[in-house]
Amino acid sequence: MRTWTRGGAVLAVVAALALAGCGRDSGDGGGDAAKPLGAGKASGEITVWAMGTEGEKLTAFAGDFMKENPDARVKVTPIPWDGAHDKIATAIAGRQTPDVSLIGTTWMGEFAKTGGLDPLPAGVADQAAFFPGAWNTAVAGGTAYGVPWYVETRLIYVNKDVASRAGVTAAPKTWEELSAAAKAFKEKGGAAWGLSLQPGGTGSWQTVLPFVWQNGGDVTGGGSGFALDSPQAVEALAFYESFFDTGLSPKDLPQGTLEPDFAAGKIGAFISGPWHIGILKEQGAAGKFDLWHMPSKQKATSFVGGGNLAVFKDAKNRDGAWKFVSWLSKPEVQIKWYQASSDLPAVKAGWDDATLKGDALLSAFGAQLSDAKAPPSIATWEQIAAAFDAEIEKLVKTDETAANAAKAIQQKATSIGTGG
Amino acid sequence: MTRHRLAGWGFALPFTVLFLVFLAGPVLASLAMSFTDIRSADVRDPLAVTPIGLGNYARLFEDEQFLQAAGNTILVVLVGLPLTVALGLAVALGLNSGVVRFRGLFRVGYYLPVVTSIVAIAVVWRFLLQPESGLVNGLLGLIGVDGPNWLNNTSTALPAVIAMIVWRGLGFQMVIFLAGLQAIPQELYEAARIDGAGRWAQFRHVTLPALRPTLVFVTVIGSIGLLQVFEEPFVMTRGGPLASTLTVAQSVYSQFSFGNYGYASAMSYLLFIAIVLLSILWFRLLRSEEAR
Amino acid sequence: MSRQRPRDRAAATVLHVVLAAGLLVMIAPFVWMLLSSFKGDGELRQTPPTWLPADPSLANYRELFDRLDFPRYFANSALVAILVTAGNLLICSATGYALAKLRFAGRRALFLLVLGNLMVPPAATFVPQFVLVSNLGLVNTYAGLILPNIALAVNVFLMRQFILSIPDDLLESARVDGAGEWRVYWQIVLPLCGPALATVGILTFLGSWNSFLWPLVVATTEDKYTLPVALALYSVGQNQTRYGLLLAGAVTIILPILIIFALLQRHFVQGIATTGLKS
Repeated sequence: MRTWTRGGAVLAVVAALALAGCGRDSGDGGGDAAKPLGAGKASGEITVWAMGTEGEKLTAFAGDFMKENPDARVKVTPIPWDGAHDKIATAIAGRQTPDVSLIGTTWMGEFAKTGGLDPLPAGVADQAAFFPGAWNTAVAGGTAYGVPWYVETRLIYVNKDVASRAGVTAAPKTWEELSAAAKAFKEKGGAAWGLSLQPGGTGSWQTVLPFVWQNGGDVTGGGSGFALDSPQAVEALAFYESFFDTGLSPKDLPQGTLEPDFAAGKIGAFISGPWHIGILKEQGAAGKFDLWHMPSKQKATSFVGGGNLAVFKDAKNRDGAWKFVSWLSKPEVQIKWYQASSDLPAVKAGWDDATLKGDALLSAFGAQLSDAKAPPSIATWEQIAAAFDAEIEKLVKTDETAANAAKAIQQKATSIGTGG
Repeated sequence: MTRHRLAGWGFALPFTVLFLVFLAGPVLASLAMSFTDIRSADVRDPLAVTPIGLGNYARLFEDEQFLQAAGNTILVVLVGLPLTVALGLAVALGLNSGVVRFRGLFRVGYYLPVVTSIVAIAVVWRFLLQPESGLVNGLLGLIGVDGPNWLNNTSTALPAVIAMIVWRGLGFQMVIFLAGLQAIPQELYEAARIDGAGRWAQFRHVTLPALRPTLVFVTVIGSIGLLQVFEEPFVMTRGGPLASTLTVAQSVYSQFSFGNYGYASAMSYLLFIAIVLLSILWFRLLRSEEAR
Repeated sequence: MSRQRPRDRAAATVLHVVLAAGLLVMIAPFVWMLLSSFKGDGELRQTPPTWLPADPSLANYRELFDRLDFPRYFANSALVAILVTAGNLLICSATGYALAKLRFAGRRALFLLVLGNLMVPPAATFVPQFVLVSNLGLVNTYAGLILPNIALAVNVFLMRQFILSIPDDLLESARVDGAGEWRVYWQIVLPLCGPALATVGILTFLGSWNSFLWPLVVATTEDKYTLPVALALYSVGQNQTRYGLLLAGAVTIILPILIIFALLQRHFVQGIATTGLKS
């Protein structure tokens, strides 16, 4: 029994300590002021974390940086995407971060809020050089905490055979034209499904939100925080639902059947990013599909994602780290990086590269990037996105109405808050 | 006996020290976290959070999604535990009966699902459960039953996932039962046979009582495992459709990844309480010889 | 196996058939995983899934072995798993013995502590444990990978339950003969625990070998990566999964386990426990 009373005493002490210093600062913490960098070349060891193939390729790629900065040593540790979010979050908690890390665009808000990221100092990168949607993914609470490294956006993949059989020759410019095209795909094009959209589930917000943006709506706005039940949002949700209600989009496509069915012409179209080019090639569908720009209601906005580079507050070589980030943002380096890794440049000038310009499919992505948005970089975004996905699933699979779904999303988002 | 006391603590010292160093602090810290509104944004300055007492716990009972997950998890345990234990015991008995050839092959084979990558398992099972081309509905069709769309139907998704969990878990139970069965001396069976006991009587009067400590272990560990089941529903259906296969462990994982450390810790400790209560039940029901 | 009555033989046949049918169901996904590791990603996306590879090739394995410093990661996994298993076998059997057969003040409390440890969901303590290990200076060290897992409560529980069934008279007679507690434990108890030790050994080794999340956060440079962490590097991307690499990696991780399991499972042989009672 002695163990238990001893344990009880320890618990009391811990609790007392915890309570003694308790309570958050009522101030908003002020804006982080970025300290200026030293002049001259980078020096010392710069530790970098990068996920997957980026991590693998960056080691060799950084050789050029080390040639320009002979006193600097870049040490890249590749980490798996699977678990990377947890690894970075835990590293921040244990103060065991590297100098620089690749960070997914949707994680920026959360990590910025921990205070573990260093605000972007002056002179590292020029905001105007980047696609605005991409730049904003690195801005949280009005301060930039990093720099976009590479980007991706979403387009409509269309099966050429289905489209020609359906008599659809040009990309739809409006919502009505998109619905009509999908209908034609099914009725005349021989496809079982006109346009395969994600029926709720993880990540469906990336397909749904663009329609809200196209209609002039947004996630936040109107002074009361969230605007997810605005008339524009409701209209967008109703439009999204209409594809499922009219049998143009499947509600429960078995996992893994999207690509083979699209290649075989059973699915007329779907929405996705640049990675599907490679996947469809493996399915033997190279050259059999087109890429369509998003349709427009008020604008033709798509979703932009990708990866950003951020420097940590606990970095041991802050100076060298930001200089490395700055180097990676130079247009010529962005082009070279694209050639090494196939990651699309976040810098507009990077798209002047001959290879990119000459590739019809990739330049379609480039064209869409100038009208692409991301959700706000708030600390609670992942949780709100999960609630959003759950409501979309209800909207699509039950007889929930768009108005009620929007109201439910707005309620949940408001109760979750912005974490600020 | 002093000698016992010295020896007892001597033997137990390494474990106790390791526990105090590596676990005591984190357990207390996470318990403390559950009484605050700490989020991942606060990790660099953890003492600057607001204590909210039982606030997190109260919120849990108003959280629809958590309540749904709790209900699903209870179902998993109610159905899954008896099935896994019974099937694991049955296979162990079969393999231990001495009449089976290739015992080694069977032991390895029945244990394979436990160690096979969940990704591979999910692909095969999803294929088996496909409404049109799947084997399960094919077999059902042979007896004239029109099989449902197992994984996309809110009423059949959870039973399908439970079946997969049982299938995957019984190998673990089998291994433990095999170890327990090996410890039963043959003399006891001989004596029973001489007394005229048939196979069933031998099972009831020799095997089961001798297996009691093992049975306690298997049910307690089995309960803990099922109450925390995560991988199978996560990979198969991501908790869908419409959260019908969402379990508490998935909710805990989500909340931790959202950074709601306080709320997630409270959920974990609520799960802990459920585990403790269920285990107390097992210890009472299967009272083992330690009373001696 | 000598003279079996016809009724017994029929029952044995039925048993074999039932177990064999069950076996087929059990190993099907493993077989699919093995066969599919020789397929390309294009074929892996076919529905319905194919069994035999259309164009079998070692491309996935070659890619994995070329891109990853395999010997290093394998050695790390092996070192950690072996030390964790050895530690558990020793420490947990000793603690289990004390809880099962020795009477000392605080025994009940210790058992409750073991059970409590067992029942706390690991997710709750993960982040505080990392912060602790980091404060102890053990991040990116083998000690940090090994020590927190070197004495698992579940193993203590298993050993205790198993040792409970060892007859007290055996131990008493040894003590009467003048044996100290250590000798009783080492020379009487442990040899009788063959199956339990084999079980603890294989389960602990398996758990350590397959462990992903803890080695992922503890290792901050590649030279400390274990096999599961390294194999995850290129198989899951930001927006897509390379299934071929994933499956080849899964096969690579499982094979050593299967070999060890196949070797150790011979210890599940009836008769080890009979020696004691002939007094």
